[in-house]
Amino acid sequence: MNLRTVIPAQAIPSIRSSLPAALGLFTVLVFYWVQQPLILSDFGVTSLLNQSVALAIAAMAQTLVVISGAVDLSVGATIGLTTCFGATYMGGSPQMAVLLIVASLFLGAAAGALNGVLVSFGKLEPLIATLTTSFVYSGVSLIIRPTPGGSVPAWFSSNLSGSWGYVTASGILLVLCVLGIWIPLMRSRIGRDIEAVGNSEQNAYLSGLSPRRAKIFAYGGSGLLSSVAGLFLLAQTGSGDAAIGQVYTLNSFACVVLGGVSLRGGKGTFLGPVLSAFLLSIVVSALLAWGVSAFWQNLVQGLILILVLVSAGIPVLRSRSWIRFVRGQVS
Amino acid sequence: MNTAVSDPTRDSIVQASRREGLIRIMMPLALLGSTYMLAAVVNPRFLTWDAARLQLTLAAFIGLVGIGQTLTILIGQIDLAIPWNITLSAIVSTNVYGQTGSISLCLISALLVGLGTGSLNAIGVAVFRIHSLIWTISVNLILEGITFVYTSAAAPAHTVPPLVRELGSGSINGIPWPIVIWAIAAMVVILWLGHTKFGREIYALGNNELATLMSGVRPGKIYLVVFLVSGAASAFVGLLLTGFAGQTYLGMGNAYLLIPIAAVVLGGTSLSGGVGGYLGTFVGSIIVVLLDSVLLSVQMSEGLRQVCFGLIILIMMLLFRNRPSS
Repeated sequence: MNLRTVIPAQAIPSIRSSLPAALGLFTVLVFYWVQQPLILSDFGVTSLLNQSVALAIAAMAQTLVVISGAVDLSVGATIGLTTCFGATYMGGSPQMAVLLIVASLFLGAAAGALNGVLVSFGKLEPLIATLTTSFVYSGVSLIIRPTPGGSVPAWFSSNLSGSWGYVTASGILLVLCVLGIWIPLMRSRIGRDIEAVGNSEQNAYLSGLSPRRAKIFAYGGSGLLSSVAGLFLLAQTGSGDAAIGQVYTLNSFACVVLGGVSLRGGKGTFLGPVLSAFLLSIVVSALLAWGVSAFWQNLVQGLILILVLVSAGIPVLRSRSWIRFVRGQVS
Repeated sequence: MNTAVSDPTRDSIVQASRREGLIRIMMPLALLGSTYMLAAVVNPRFLTWDAARLQLTLAAFIGLVGIGQTLTILIGQIDLAIPWNITLSAIVSTNVYGQTGSISLCLISALLVGLGTGSLNAIGVAVFRIHSLIWTISVNLILEGITFVYTSAAAPAHTVPPLVRELGSGSINGIPWPIVIWAIAAMVVILWLGHTKFGREIYALGNNELATLMSGVRPGKIYLVVFLVSGAASAFVGLLLTGFAGQTYLGMGNAYLLIPIAAVVLGGTSLSGGVGGYLGTFVGSIIVVLLDSVLLSVQMSEGLRQVCFGLIILIMMLLFRNRPSS
């Protein structure tokens, strides 16, 4: 058990766990491609990436916290907060805008770290603590921007949603998140601590690790990634909206489950959730392309989510004995 | 149960738990007193019977939703499918009344929406063992989707039945019906929780699921009943709100996501389950309504009110969190 957190070869089972998502994505892409061959042109790839990257980054944010053995329900609120902050204060001058991008990233990381402090030092249940802070964060967004609106510099939105042939800015952003945030964090000692705490908080504590620090970093990293997703959304929509992030909280969670990351924590990688994010976004856009009315969108997303959750719960049906199951949860 | 035999250990445990219950209810009462004084300082009109009647009516809606939320939180779960359950049941039932003109069909359809939501919640939590926070929020999304498809996202046509209008905005001897209904329901729930076997099983399940299982209680039944009660209570509040506002609209239940939870937490019920009771929620509902009115009367913006509410709940949770193995 402990060896797993030490050996980097853990990557192999993680890749295996993302196989269902990869197969699903491949199938959906083939079906979509048969219907609409244009999606594999450079224009089609750009638009598919632009639709999915925000969710993919949000899914990475959620995965980080799930690995630490908890859940972050404030992902969406942090995304909304970033868009409101950016759309309101990002002025005309490039220096100001760059300063604001950095400030937004700090804001997101701080919002996440506050969750971590409430969960670790405050000993609050992660679900309910992040649900409450999501209320606070969207309240702050409403104070900054009572109604959706605001503006961003033209270069900011054109650069982040542009493309050069098949190389899209959104794809580069996603790769940057993986190479610049995920891998440095998860390959460092802090990353190992996060996995160890997710495996067993007590064992981690007894081995001399600091579960509190690991949790604060997990939530802080989640907040940072959420604010990156928020900045990307801001570039796409060009306006700040306190409510824009709401769907990302649930959908990011669906991506984590669909991506094969264990909800018990302790192990997992970004690959499965990111692929699932593409899968979910493509399913929704394909449904819209086939003329399913937009009114159905919530219902379809909810049904997908419930199916994913049920499929995650099916092993429980197999175990049959409640006592065995509850005991497994307690230990 | 044989109560004639006096068991000193058991008696002292009962006394200790009574004492703890008393301490737990003192805190919300003190909070209510100080909120009321704050309200009186901000605006003396809060002291009049007219103002109190309105506050209590608003608190009744939250308190009735809070019945379900208290029960679900007591068993260590939560019900986040309430907002769109309220909206969907209100829209469906007024629509059914508009088409058939039958008041009983109207009430039955609202009840069916509520019970359907409740059983869907219970299936996810008890059969598939998915954390209720995630499961019920997904159910909420599905209910929202159903409402959008059902109404095509247009303002729903509303024919408010006279009985519903009377229940929501009428009064008996000067006391509004929602307050009367709430008071009766509160007494029933308090007696149910404190003096029946089922009530004790709810507390047991919230305290320690494994131990409850080992002592031969079937948890599936408790989950089902608790979520059914929560669903039905929300659907009923949907009807009352329709009568109170004289109309139905998309998103009419949105305010009932976090505020009833705040009422439960302020009332001293622990979010980890097994500790607390409905009396606290009763007081908590009045506190949140009063607090909201005070924040409104000093012209606080919606965002600032959200922040204040969130912070108050966080502080209360930090104060009321379960001390390790007490």
